[in-house]
Amino acid sequence: MNMLNRLHTNKPAKAALVLASAILILTACGQTNDADGANASGGNNASANAGGQAANETAAAGNDAAGNAGGNAADASASADSADALYAKAKEEGKLIVYSTSGRANDAAETFMKQYPEIKVEVSKVKSDEILDKVTKEQDAGQFNPDVIITKEVSGAVEEEMVKPGRYLKYLPADIAPMVDEPYRTQAEAYANYVEFRTIFYNAKHYAEVPVKNWWDLTTPEFKGKVYTADPLSSPAFMDLFTTMVVNSDDMAAAYKEKFGKDIELHGTENAGYEYIQELFDNGLIVLKGSDDVLDAIGKADRDAVGLAVSGDVSKNEENGWTIQPIYDIKPKTSVPDSGYFFLANKAPHEAAAKLFVRWMMGETDGKGAGLDPFNQVGSWVPRSDVQTKNDIPYESLNLWAFDGEALYNTAPKVRDFWIKQK
Amino acid sequence: MANIPAPEGRRHRTRLHNRTLNWLRNPVHSIGAAALLFLAYTIVWPVLKIAYTTFVWRQQDVRLTGAANPGHFTLYHWTRVLASDMSASLFYKPILNSLAVGATVSALSLVIGCSLAWLVTRTDIPLKRTISFLAVIPYLLPAWILSQAWLTFFKNGKIGGTPGILQSLLHVSPPDWLSYGFVPIVISLSIHDSVFFFLIVGAALSSMNSQLEEAASVAGARRLTVLRRIVMPLVLPSILSGFILIFTKAISSYGVPALLGTPVNFYMISTMLYSSMRSRLTTEANVLSLTLMLISMLTIYLNQRAVGRRRSFVTVTGKGSARRLTPLGPWRFPAATAAALIMAAVAVVPLLVLLAQSFMLKEGVYRLSNFTTHYWWGGSDPDINTGEKGVMQNPIFLLALKNSLYIAGAASVVASVTGLVLGYIVARGRQSWLGRAVDQVSFLPYLIPGVSLSELYISMFAKPTLFIPALYGTIGLLILITVVKELPFTVKAGSAAMMQIGTELEEAAQLGGASWLTRFRRILLPLNRKSLVSVFLLVFIGAMKEMELIIMLVTPRTETLTTLTFYYAEKCYEQLTNVILMIIIAIVVAVYAVAVKLGKADLTQGIGGQ
Repeated sequence: MNMLNRLHTNKPAKAALVLASAILILTACGQTNDADGANASGGNNASANAGGQAANETAAAGNDAAGNAGGNAADASASADSADALYAKAKEEGKLIVYSTSGRANDAAETFMKQYPEIKVEVSKVKSDEILDKVTKEQDAGQFNPDVIITKEVSGAVEEEMVKPGRYLKYLPADIAPMVDEPYRTQAEAYANYVEFRTIFYNAKHYAEVPVKNWWDLTTPEFKGKVYTADPLSSPAFMDLFTTMVVNSDDMAAAYKEKFGKDIELHGTENAGYEYIQELFDNGLIVLKGSDDVLDAIGKADRDAVGLAVSGDVSKNEENGWTIQPIYDIKPKTSVPDSGYFFLANKAPHEAAAKLFVRWMMGETDGKGAGLDPFNQVGSWVPRSDVQTKNDIPYESLNLWAFDGEALYNTAPKVRDFWIKQK
Repeated sequence: MANIPAPEGRRHRTRLHNRTLNWLRNPVHSIGAAALLFLAYTIVWPVLKIAYTTFVWRQQDVRLTGAANPGHFTLYHWTRVLASDMSASLFYKPILNSLAVGATVSALSLVIGCSLAWLVTRTDIPLKRTISFLAVIPYLLPAWILSQAWLTFFKNGKIGGTPGILQSLLHVSPPDWLSYGFVPIVISLSIHDSVFFFLIVGAALSSMNSQLEEAASVAGARRLTVLRRIVMPLVLPSILSGFILIFTKAISSYGVPALLGTPVNFYMISTMLYSSMRSRLTTEANVLSLTLMLISMLTIYLNQRAVGRRRSFVTVTGKGSARRLTPLGPWRFPAATAAALIMAAVAVVPLLVLLAQSFMLKEGVYRLSNFTTHYWWGGSDPDINTGEKGVMQNPIFLLALKNSLYIAGAASVVASVTGLVLGYIVARGRQSWLGRAVDQVSFLPYLIPGVSLSELYISMFAKPTLFIPALYGTIGLLILITVVKELPFTVKAGSAAMMQIGTELEEAAQLGGASWLTRFRRILLPLNRKSLVSVFLLVFIGAMKEMELIIMLVTPRTETLTTLTFYYAEKCYEQLTNVILMIIIAIVVAVYAVAVKLGKADLTQGIGGQ
C-alpha cells in the first residue's frame, strides 16, 4: 500500500485518491474467515516434540515397519498400499471427496489430477470446527460422504469427539512411516502433513534484531499498549496458546524468575499462566478481529509494536506489503504446535483413491513428490526427517510445548471464562 | 347405560367435524393451517431442539464443571449465563450493547429510509429511479466492506497499520468512540440495511390516496395535523414492521461488530455467540440465541398490540385514485442533487474502486502499466498469486456460477411467493391466533444462528422422513434453507402489501364464483406484482451473498460463487475476490434490469402496494 506516500507527493490525484482509498482496504484479507489460521492446533501427544530434542532424527532412520503400529494397523503391507496398487483400485472408484480446512488441498488436488487423470478430486473447504459438526451429523444420519479430512485441532475436540469415537481414522502408509518425526508417527492423534504455530511477530524495518526473548517481555512498560493479538474468543487456536501457558504454568513461573530475578507474585489468580494473561491486559493488550488485522497493524508502517499471529503468515509478506518477521525462540517455550492433520473418514466411499491422495500430499515414499509442495512452505514445517524445510530452523529445533489435547479440551473453557472476565 | 352416550358422542363428533370443515373452508384458515405446519417443521421444531439442549447436560459440559451429568436435566446453562459471576461479561454487557445498537440502527434507518421514501414517492423530485436504484447498492456490498471503508477514513493510531485518511490529512487522531465501537457499528449497519425501511415504508406511502390528505386540508387541517392524523396512522404499521425487521437484523449481525467492536472490547450477543460456537460451547451459544429470540418475540408482541388495536386502513381499493405529488418548488433540484450525491458517496464510489482494483496488478498503484485483465481471464503466471489463474479460467467457475444462479434464482422465486401467501395469512388473520402465530414464528429465522440451523437441517433432511424426501446433498435443501432464512423479510413485505389491499375485490370475485386459487392468481398476484419483484430482487441479492448457511450444506458438487470467494479470500487473493464480487454485482444489476423490464416493476414505489 504505497497509496499514502503518493497522497503526499501527487497533489492533482489527491482528491480522487481520498475517495478511492475508501475502499482500498476494504478487501483486506483479515476480514475474511481464515479457516486455516483460526482453528485450533496440534496433536495430542502426551509425550513431547518439545524441548528441541533432536532425537527423532536418528530414531527415525533406523525404524522398522512396526514403528507405525499406531499409525495404520489396519493396512496390511506396504505393497498393497503402493501407489500403483492403489491407483488400480482407485480407477474403479473414479473420484474422491475431501473436506479440508486449508486451501492447500486444492493446490495438491490440481497436481494430483495431472498425475492420475482418471480420478477426480472434489474439495470442500470448511473450517475445522464446522467439519467436525458436519461429519458428526452426516454420520449419525447414516451418510458417509467424505473420504479424506484435512483439519486442525479444535482445542482437543477433534481427538476427543472424532478420533476416539472412530469417526476420523488414522492413516500412515507403512513405507513412509519410518521417515516421520514424532509425535506424528505414533504418539499424536494422527499424522500431520504440516505444522504451524502462533508466535510473536515484529516489524523487521523497525527492529534490527529480535525485540522479544521471553513471553514476560510483553508485560514490561516498553511494550505498554503495543501488543496486538487476534481475538482468542473468536479464534480458539489463539486461546490454545494461552491455555497451554496455563497448563504449563510452572514453565511460565520459571521464565518469570529468569526475566525478573524473583519469584512470581500472584494477584488473585490461580497460577502463573493466568497471571500472565492478566498482566497482558493490564499492560494494554489490544485485541483485533483476526490474524491479518494484527499483521496489518504492525507490518503496514514502521511500527515498534509487536503482535501474535500464525507462523505460516510470513509467506503472505510480499502479497500484502508487510515487513514482518516471526520470532522462533521465546522463553520458556516459543509456542504450541498447530498441526494440519490427515485423516481418512470412517466408511470412506472411495478408500483407495483417498489413500492414494494422502500419499500424494505426503510427497510419496521419498518425500519429493509435487503433492507436498503446498505444505512445505516458509512458516510451515513438514515433520518428515527426509524432507528439506524451507525455514532457517529445522522442525526438530523448534522449542515448542507439547500439544496436550486432553488437557486443553478440559482447561480451555476455564481460560476462556477468565479471558471474558478481563473485559 | 352404555348405549346412551354413543349417539350423543357421535352427534357431538359430527358437529365438531362440521365445524372443523367450516373453519377450514375459509382459505385463511386452511392455508394458514398448512403454513403453520410448514413453519412448525422448518422453524419451531429446530428451535425446540435448540431449547431442549439448554436444559440437558452434554458430554462437553464436563469441561465446565465437575457436577455435569451427561443426559440429565439441568438449569446450569441458564444460571451460568443469567446469574453467575460470568453473567456481567458474558450476557448483561453484551445484551445492553445489542439492544442499544439494535434500537439506534432502527431509528437511524427510519430517518434515512423514510425521508428517501417520502422524497421518492410523494414529491416531484427528479431522478426517482436513479435514487431508488442507488439506495439498493449498499445492500449489494457485504456489510463489512462499509465498516472497512469507515476504518480507512476514521481509524486512529490504536489499531496501527496505515493511518486513517482523516489522521493523515488533518494530523489529528480521531477519538476512540469515533473510530471503533458503537458509533461506527451503528452507522455501517444503518447504511447497509436502511434500504429495507425505504422499500417497506415507500410502499405504504406510494399507495396512499392523496384525497385523504386533500380532504383534511380542505377541512382546514394544518400540514402538521395532516401528517400526524392522516399520514402517520396510515404508515405506522409499515414503520413498525420496518423497525422490527431492522432491529432483528442489527442484533443478529456478526461481521461488522466483530471488526469494529473488538479493538475497544465492545461485544454484542452476536459476537459472544460466535465465540461460544467456535469454542465448542454449543449449549452456551444456544442459550444466547434463545435470549435474542425471546427479546424479539416480545417486541413483535408489543407491535401486534400496537397495530392490532387500530382499525386497518385500506388504501388499495377497487376504485382508481389519483396520487398527487407534493411539489418541492425551488428545492427540487438541490434535493435531487444532494440525495444523489450522498448515495453516490456511500454506494457508487466503493463499487467503482472495487472494480478498478480488480484490474490492478498491484493494488494501490495508479499507473496505466499496472492495468491488467489477468485476474479476470488471465492464464497461470507463476509470478502472480503463485500461479493462480484468472477467475474465468478457474475450472470450477462455470459450475459455481451455474449453481449460484440456480440456487439464488429458484430460492428467491419460491421465497417471494411464500412470503406473499404467508403475508396474506398474517394480514387477513390479524385478529386471529393463526395470523399472529404465523407472524411470530416467521420472524425467528433471523435469530437462529445460520450454522445451528444448517446443522439441524443436516440431521432433519439426511434421511427421508414421512413424505419428505432426503434433501441433504441436493440443491433443494439449499433452496429451502434460503427460503426459510429470508422469511422474516418476505413475510413482512408480503403482509405489508396485503394489508393495503381491500377485501372487497376478493369478495366480488368470490361472489362471481372464483376459487381462492383463482383469486390469488388473478387478483392478488397482479396487484402485488411490483412488491413481488422487489422481494425477489432483495432475496436474490441476499442469496448470492450468503455464505454461512451454504458452507455447511454444500457437498462438493454444489460449489457456488461464494464458496469460491471463500477459497480466494483464505489465500489473500484480494483482486480475485473482488472479481467475484463484481461478477455477483453485475449479475444482480442485470437481473434487476430484466425484472424492471419484464415485471414492469421498479423500486421507486417500494415493496408492497400497487
